[in-house]
Amino acid sequence: MKKLITIIKREYLTRVRTKGFIIGTILMPVFILGISIVPALVTVITSEEQKTIAVIDFTQKAYEGLQRELDQTNDAGQRIYLLKRLIVKPENLEPVKQELIKEVDQEKFFGILIIPPDVFETNRVEYYAKNVSNFRQNQQIQDAVSRVIREIRIRQAGLDQELVESITREVNLTTFKIGPGGEKKEERGQTFIVAYILVFFLYMAMILYGNFVLRAVIEDKSSRVVELLVSSIDPFKLMAGKIFGVGAVGLTQFIIWALAAALIMVYSGALLGLFGVDPTGKNLPILELDMTILVYFVVFFVLGYILYATLYAAIGAMVNSEQEAQQLISPLILLLVIPMIMIAYIIGNPHTPTSIAFSMIPFFSPMIMFTRIVVDVPPTIEILVSIGILIASILLLIYLSAKIFRVGILMYGKRPTLPEVMRWIRQS
Amino acid sequence: MQALLLDHVQKSFGQVQAVKDLSLSIEAGTIFGLLGPNGAGKTTTIRMIMQIIMPDAGEIRLFGQPNSPEQLEKVGYLPEERGLYGKMKVGDQIIFFAELKNVPAKEAEKRARQWLQRFQMDSVWDKKLEELSKGNQQKIQFIVSILHEPQLVILDEPFTGLDPVNTQLIKDIMLEMKSSGCSIIFSTHQMDQVERLCDAICLINRGEAVLQGDLREIKRRYGRDTVILEYEGDNHFLDRLDFVKKVNDFGNYVEVHLTDGTHAQDLLKAAVQQVEVLKFELVEPSLNEIFIRTVTEE
Repeated sequence: MKKLITIIKREYLTRVRTKGFIIGTILMPVFILGISIVPALVTVITSEEQKTIAVIDFTQKAYEGLQRELDQTNDAGQRIYLLKRLIVKPENLEPVKQELIKEVDQEKFFGILIIPPDVFETNRVEYYAKNVSNFRQNQQIQDAVSRVIREIRIRQAGLDQELVESITREVNLTTFKIGPGGEKKEERGQTFIVAYILVFFLYMAMILYGNFVLRAVIEDKSSRVVELLVSSIDPFKLMAGKIFGVGAVGLTQFIIWALAAALIMVYSGALLGLFGVDPTGKNLPILELDMTILVYFVVFFVLGYILYATLYAAIGAMVNSEQEAQQLISPLILLLVIPMIMIAYIIGNPHTPTSIAFSMIPFFSPMIMFTRIVVDVPPTIEILVSIGILIASILLLIYLSAKIFRVGILMYGKRPTLPEVMRWIRQS
Repeated sequence: MQALLLDHVQKSFGQVQAVKDLSLSIEAGTIFGLLGPNGAGKTTTIRMIMQIIMPDAGEIRLFGQPNSPEQLEKVGYLPEERGLYGKMKVGDQIIFFAELKNVPAKEAEKRARQWLQRFQMDSVWDKKLEELSKGNQQKIQFIVSILHEPQLVILDEPFTGLDPVNTQLIKDIMLEMKSSGCSIIFSTHQMDQVERLCDAICLINRGEAVLQGDLREIKRRYGRDTVILEYEGDNHFLDRLDFVKKVNDFGNYVEVHLTDGTHAQDLLKAAVQQVEVLKFELVEPSLNEIFIRTVTEE
């Protein structure tokens, strides 16, 4: 046990002390900061701009309404749409329009809105602008014009404005996610983001730290330290020490990142303030994490990591160099990529037989079961069965890998063929 | 007391019999030469003693008890393929390997600093191993193999790449360890070193012990059938003498192996007629000669 700790300590310290670790660990929070602050800043910066729109209102009734309805303000509290009313005789419309189009081109105006006299019958309003693909802007303008025209129609029909509005009011669909602790209001979009980000972290962690283990084993082998090591410690403990040592490095990194993320969330307002933005009422794309999800994340991270790290260790013991290892690890990468490809499907259909089946397969379950837990509430029994199968597979793989490791680490030269590896397993 | 006993040990890899039926015993406080041509099975034997691989049959006893992982804490090992972590600092490295032999870190540091001082390498503590010269790396490897004060040390070619001063230093340490009761298995191809240091030897060829026992005893068995001849002139006359079985030409002198029943005087008579004799000595064959004779006769 003491020797195992000695191995873990060395693996841990030599990695944590490297520049790569320190830089990587610091850069990640900067990246998190970036993705959480920059979008907020970008919306602020892009919305600063005010847009002057020329309005030609042939009905003579709509302009005041538009002025009232298009009252969206940007983050600086200014009106986004500044309207300029132009009185034009219908026969002069074409030349004036041509003139205005030129002015839009020279950016004197942002756009031109032409409300024809027969709008109440045709339901058609024309909008000219350099950029007509901004969905939000188009929607805002269309909504405003629609409301104004509708109002006028209601008035003209002699109906009671308020009555009509209360009758035609739209119904809101509020979504609730049922969790183990009762109902909880949840925004679907946010759940998607949480699932994607966390699963991507799992994927990255398994590839990244799996490769660390691979390299650690190859380094021992190519530097021939292994001969000295196994004359002092059981190869199985050596393998376990490498896996746990590197795993501890991974956990350290995640804890630092999680703390950084928590700090960024808590102080995001103050951070935005630094950039001269009033933080009140502004929603950063902050991800509120459920504690249970976090616990499951750690569980599936640890189990998934051990599963893959064991395989990486066995592969490391089989080869002489990292180049040789590349061929052998490609099936592993494939096993990791399959759940990544499936994530979109799982998020949309967490309860289909396919999703349930894949969340039971040990190589996929760390990511797929976890996704199901994030977006849905799978039955506890399914979660337990999935974890049980995973643990059983880990034990089996450790047993096989330890045998391969024991023989492989002392073999140099030609890479073993599959029958040879099978013989190693039988022999030791 | 026996430090090590190998009793009919066998090991095969697939079709290859690396060690067939090897038995040997090493007394405490002796230096034991484990010799043999390349591929004879020395490394396999050493790896079985170190429990890196397990014998297919036979028994290995360390210090009178069956081989067990705990006993390895009393064994030191300097592998022929040197292996330490290049990027790890020298001090950390020595302590790491000592901890794997159950030496507490503090004690390991104290001993390590003493050893480094003895090798006049005080300044390397915080250096990465790969920054050291090959010879200095080897000294670190040697320190690693003995820091836990083992009762049995296996030194596989400990002198390669060392200058005469450091070779002498390691020889001195080996003799000190021997006198303090430690047994040393010394594996090398440098027969003159074996002759100077070893009490007993075992010569392995094709996985079998072909010659073993007390070194002086072995040499006596061969008798004084060898002449060391130092001379000035042309040594071609030796080829024509029918009582000369074999000549080892060392450049400055020749080692002449005579056929059985020949009187050395005959050689001397022939020699004085042909060359100016500077030295003429009747000796037991050198271990080098015994090695070659045994291996080639096989």
